[in-house]
Amino acid sequence: MRLGRYAPWLWLFPAGALLIPFFLIPLCVVVRDSFYREDPVRFLIPDFTFANYARVLGDRYYLTVFGNTLLIALVISVIALIIAVPFAQYVARSTGKQRALLLWIIYLPLYVSVIMRAFGWMVITADSGLINSTLMSLRLIGQPIKLLFEVEGMTLAMLHRYLPLMIIPIVTTLQKLDRDLLKASANLGGSRWYGWRRIVLPMAIPGMVGGTQLVFAGVLSDYVLPSLTGTTRFPMVAPVIFYEAATNGAWATASAMGTLVLVVVALFLIISSLAVRRLMPWQRAVQ
Amino acid sequence: MIRPDFDSPRLSTYGYTAFVVLFLLLPIVLGTIVAFSSGDRLEFPLPGFSLRWFHEAWRNVVFVDGLWNSLIIAVCSAALATIAGTGAAIALNHYRFKGHSVVQLAVMLPVSLPGIVLGLGLLFILSPYGMRPGKIAAIFGHATVSIPYVVAMVTAALSNYDRALERASLNLGVSPARTFFKITLPLIRGGVIAGAISAFLISLDNVSLSLFITRGDTLPLRLMQQLLFYADPSIAAMATILLALSLGLLIMMLPMVIWRRSR
Repeated sequence: MRLGRYAPWLWLFPAGALLIPFFLIPLCVVVRDSFYREDPVRFLIPDFTFANYARVLGDRYYLTVFGNTLLIALVISVIALIIAVPFAQYVARSTGKQRALLLWIIYLPLYVSVIMRAFGWMVITADSGLINSTLMSLRLIGQPIKLLFEVEGMTLAMLHRYLPLMIIPIVTTLQKLDRDLLKASANLGGSRWYGWRRIVLPMAIPGMVGGTQLVFAGVLSDYVLPSLTGTTRFPMVAPVIFYEAATNGAWATASAMGTLVLVVVALFLIISSLAVRRLMPWQRAVQ
Repeated sequence: MIRPDFDSPRLSTYGYTAFVVLFLLLPIVLGTIVAFSSGDRLEFPLPGFSLRWFHEAWRNVVFVDGLWNSLIIAVCSAALATIAGTGAAIALNHYRFKGHSVVQLAVMLPVSLPGIVLGLGLLFILSPYGMRPGKIAAIFGHATVSIPYVVAMVTAALSNYDRALERASLNLGVSPARTFFKITLPLIRGGVIAGAISAFLISLDNVSLSLFITRGDTLPLRLMQQLLFYADPSIAAMATILLALSLGLLIMMLPMVIWRRSR
């Protein structure tokens, strides 16, 4: 076949035609613009300056924004990991209809509009919502607890949004777990806890890392939940980037923040992938 | 002696699983229930049941107009993403070429890179491309973030696909294009349709790109505006209509997933 050598590139052409102009170039432009000079009239003036980074990294407000976002990303990753590992283990060893149902329940929230999910959390956490009316009718509290439009309510809603992204990769890796290993461990006198710690947990690491990567990238670019369920007293990075670019017209500042977010996510992806390879040489053999 | 319970779940495990399932489902179920409220405010328990908010939502031009915009964008961007993603999956599955792993990484990257930064970049490049914020820009933008999902689903469908059939067809003198439509596509149909539905739903729910590249006229943006301003059950009613749509599509997808697994 004459086309043989070019055949893969022919198949890749539509993806390239979309991804190069509408993915690769825009991201490069954000990085480039972060070195441009800010201008109130023309938005950006070509230049090569670190002034935007100096402004973003030198200002207490922007540092708080980054600190808040990284803190929330960390908290949600840790809580999601703690919830997801035992749950994923249960799902991975379930069979038949029960398994199909559980998988469906995990995937369902991903296909429900995030606005709907935010609304659901508003119903739960509002002053006259489910939690407060239940606690008040039980006379456990006299005043409603402030959850909605606070960090707590936002964290709950975000945990709900990103938990499936943590569960799915862990279920995928734990499916490969050979249960004979656990049997062997029990046979040789290992306790359940020992078997879990030495067999299940190490096997789950690639899924845990993959899930954490997704959660991290998700929290860092989440605009909806901080806007709808959070508070401006606890600013998060995505709404601030949008505000700087759209309302303030500060394109260079927004670009510098966007580039920093990219760098954080990219570093996280690279370091965690390297860590998996280093910690788990058997993964390399499998792939 | 093997203890029979070496990994069998205990009672606490069932309780724990139920708790996580409840956590995952509760906000969705509650949001849906509130759509049927007869009250004027966001409150729970409900004062009573009625369909008035569905009526209200359906009469609200801002919502219905937004729904149409979103549907147009979602259908077109899903079509683009499906073509691009299927092609990329076939290229990566069938051929070993220079730069294979780079391409593989590149097509999956939109999942793990933050959407808000891509949105910002798209805002910057629209005017150099001679485009303006609107439906066309949104179609291209949404298509890029959906490609990885299509690639993943088509790759899964290709994993138990026998290339010998394709070679047989080519050897018998059938053109490559005809071979694709008569042999390859029917065999990976499940994955392609599942990918297309995922792409459609991703676009329908997208906010981080639409913020920058539309005129604020997609349904999620309009629902968000309304929710920021005043949270009334008509938002839940509109979202419930969307949910019914998503569920309908998901149920369509289910037999294909099961069919794929049973083979």
